[in-house]
Amino acid sequence: MAILKINGENKTFENVPSTMKALLEFLNVDDATVVAEVNGQIIPRGSFDKTPLQDGHSIELIRFVGGG
Amino acid sequence: MKKLIIAGKEFTSRLFIGTGKYSSNKIMAQSIEASATEMVTVALRRVDIQNPQDNMLAAIDRKKYLLLPNTSGARNAEEAIRLARLARAATEINWLKLEVTPDPYYLLPDPIETLKAAEILVKEGFVVLPYINADPVLAKKLQDIGTATVMPLAAPIGSNQGLKTKAAIEIIIAQAAVPVVVDAGLGMPSHAAEAMEMGADAVLINTAIATANDPIKMAEAFKKAVQAGREAFEAGSAGVKNHADASSPLTGFLRD
Repeated sequence: MAILKINGENKTFENVPSTMKALLEFLNVDDATVVAEVNGQIIPRGSFDKTPLQDGHSIELIRFVGGG
Repeated sequence: MKKLIIAGKEFTSRLFIGTGKYSSNKIMAQSIEASATEMVTVALRRVDIQNPQDNMLAAIDRKKYLLLPNTSGARNAEEAIRLARLARAATEINWLKLEVTPDPYYLLPDPIETLKAAEILVKEGFVVLPYINADPVLAKKLQDIGTATVMPLAAPIGSNQGLKTKAAIEIIIAQAAVPVVVDAGLGMPSHAAEAMEMGADAVLINTAIATANDPIKMAEAFKKAVQAGREAFEAGSAGVKNHADASSPLTGFLRD
């Protein structure tokens, strides 16, 4: 068992998705629409498949919404 | 109408549009189209993991409209800078509406934190368009450190009150070396026209259009008002007099 903190909430996994790309696929999030942080570090778009994840990581998944 | 230039980019339209509060992405897209704007603001928020498919950006044609991400939700400089960097990572462009609003009731911008964040972001290469109170001293300080515009508020965000800060915005315009964009609080096209007649370079409208009964028609109305106001400013007013000044000749009357 492993835990990732995603957008402020702990989520438990049998096996942590190996990369950011795998996590987005698991969550059914289109990777073209999001920007991600791991432990406060911005992950450049295009590097999601090269970003390994592990137990205890804190992840922010952010996207654009309507705003003024 | 003279073109507006911000940070070297030319704009034909002097109306910028916010994308919040629309009843649907479709109405938003149609309102943007009707406004003839060339720049739209967007906000950054956490992905809703329960509803991951929602993607408003798909409704915006990025070939036609420059995205201006905002830092809404930031309560201090540190939070604004974090949002700015995320926005740049997401858009791969460096334009930014900087807003720091510690108090959600009035949503008035924090001048000290805004200036602090602007100094850092300008150094990092951002094109910074700061949302500020109508404070001429602050506006001057921001332009001096290299912001691309200043964006004084007319009234609190979303209040539709109109140009409550008119006298201060007149001073900001008088001493501006960068474009002045009147942002927040303009509720009707006449308010936007008034700002443009004063010599504002552009206006940014969201709530007044998005929450109108017919947002598409209101977008069109704002487009016309901004054009009319700008053209009147360029034409130059003859000024105001305290007495009548006859339009018809004062000679040749039919009396002895």
